[in-house]
Amino acid sequence: MGMLEIRDITSGYGEVQILWGTTLNLEKGDLTSLVGANGAGKTTTMRTIMGLLKPWQGSVWFDGQDISNMSAHEKAEIGVVLVPEGRQLFTQMSIEENLEMGASPKRARPHIQRNLERVYAMFPRLKERRLQKAGTMSGGEQQMLAVARGIMAEPIVLMIDELSLGLAPVLVLDLFQTLQKLKSEGMTMMLVEQNVQMALAVSDYAYVMAHGKVELHGNSRELAKNEYVRKAYLGL
Amino acid sequence: MDFLLASLIDGLLLGFVYGIAAMGLTLIWGVMNVINLSHGPIIALGMFGVYYIFSALGIHPYLALIAVAAGGLLLGGLIYFVAVHRVIDAPHLSTLLATFSVNMIIIGLGTAAFSASPRNVDFTLGSFEIGSITILGTRLVAAILAMFVTGGLYLFLYKSRYGRYIRAVTDNRDAAELMGVPSVRILALSFGLGTMLAAISGGLIATFFPFTILAGGSYELKSFVVSVLGGLGNPVGALLAGLILGAIEGIIPTVLPTTWVPVLEFVLFILILLFRPQGLFKTKSS
Repeated sequence: MGMLEIRDITSGYGEVQILWGTTLNLEKGDLTSLVGANGAGKTTTMRTIMGLLKPWQGSVWFDGQDISNMSAHEKAEIGVVLVPEGRQLFTQMSIEENLEMGASPKRARPHIQRNLERVYAMFPRLKERRLQKAGTMSGGEQQMLAVARGIMAEPIVLMIDELSLGLAPVLVLDLFQTLQKLKSEGMTMMLVEQNVQMALAVSDYAYVMAHGKVELHGNSRELAKNEYVRKAYLGL
Repeated sequence: MDFLLASLIDGLLLGFVYGIAAMGLTLIWGVMNVINLSHGPIIALGMFGVYYIFSALGIHPYLALIAVAAGGLLLGGLIYFVAVHRVIDAPHLSTLLATFSVNMIIIGLGTAAFSASPRNVDFTLGSFEIGSITILGTRLVAAILAMFVTGGLYLFLYKSRYGRYIRAVTDNRDAAELMGVPSVRILALSFGLGTMLAAISGGLIATFFPFTILAGGSYELKSFVVSVLGGLGNPVGALLAGLILGAIEGIIPTVLPTTWVPVLEFVLFILILLFRPQGLFKTKSS
C-alpha cells in the first residue's frame, strides 16, 4: 500500500467534468512524477487531492486513512502538503513571514528554527532577502520561496505543481537537486510537470495523464524508452 | 481664532472614533471583499450596550466597553456563520443583500425592544480648559481609547499568529488553506473583529451624544466616506481619514450652517471616487 493513494477520482468545476476516474499511488520515499499535456487535468488532480475541489466520486487515502472528506488545512496538518501551481505566495508579506506561514501546521511549529536554517542553506538567496516582500522578487526566487515554504510545513508527502514553469534551465537543475536531497531524507514526493523529459529523468515512477485519466504509468526509466511516450511527449 | 481651534480639536477627537468605526468596515472588506451593511445597527447596539450596562447595572461606561467589545466580537462571528458564510463566494450582490437583511433584523428587533425614542448615557467627565479652549473630558478619553484600540489592532495583525493568519487569508485564501490555516474560522474571526470595532465606536459615541436604535445609519455612512478616503481595505488609512473627516466636521460649522456638513462630506466622497478611487493614502498593494 502506498503512502498516498488516489482511487478512481472524478471531479471538475461546476458542470464541467475534468477528471474521469484518476488513480495514482505514491510509494513511500519515492519521487513520483505526473506528466501530461496542458489541460490533461494535472492541476485539477492536485486541487482535488488537497480538497480545494471536492471529489465527485472516488477517494483519497493517506497512510491507510481515508482523507477524502478532509479540508485542505486539515490535510496540511497531517503532513500532506502541496506547493501550488503559480506559486501562490503571500505577496504582501516578507520572505521570512511566508516561511513562517509555511510552518503553520502544529506538527511543524516545534521545528520552525531547524527548518528555517535548512531552507536558508538550500536557498541562500532567500536568506539574503528575507525581509523583502515576496511580491517584489523575480520568478525564480518566487519559485524557490514556494518550495521552501512547502518544506517549512514539515511534509510527509510533498507535491509540487509545475516546478519548472517559466524558469531558466540552470535554476531548474538546482531545484531538482534540492528535490533529490529531500528524497534522500525519506520524503515522499510527487512532481507535476509539463517538462516530461526532465520529470522522467529525476523520478522513480511516473504517471502520464491525458483527457482526465491516467493513460500510462510505470517505472520512469522504462517509460522514457517507451515508443509511444517518446513520440507523443518527448518529440523523438 | 480660538473658536476655530477649539472646533478643530473637538472634531479631531471625534475623528479618532470615526476612524475605528471605519477600520471595522474596511477590515472586513479587505479580508473577504464583503461590504458589511449591518455596520450601522451594530454601532447602535454598541451604544445600547454601554447604555444598559451603565444604567441598569451601574457599571462604569468604560468598563462596559469591554463587555460591548466582547459582545461585538461574538455577534460578528455569529453573523458570519448565519448570514455571510454561505454566500461568501457568490457575487457581491448576495453578500450585500445578506448583510442588509441582518441590518433590517437588528433594526426591527431593536425598535421593538428599545423603541425609537432617544437615549443618553447620563455620565460626564466634565471639561477642562487649555488657555481659552475647552475640551470635553468624554471626548478626550474616547480619542485616547480609540488610539489604544488602534494600537492593539496593529499589534494583533502584525505580531500575533492569528493576525498573521488574517493577513495571509487576505492575501491568498487558497494558499493559506494549503499551509494549514483554517480559513473559514479566520474569516469568522475577521468579521468578528470588524463588528467589534463598530460596537466599540458606538459605545464611545454614546458617552457624549444622544442616540436611538437608528443612530447607527449616519455613522455607517460616515464610515463609508472615511473608508474610501483612506483607501478601502487599509486600516491605517481609515484612522487618518477619520481624523480628516472629524476635522471637517469641526470646522465647517464655524463658517457655514451645520446642515452643510453631510453635503460637503458626500461631495468629498464623490470627488475621491472620481479622482482618487484608491484613497488618499497609498495602500500597500499599490
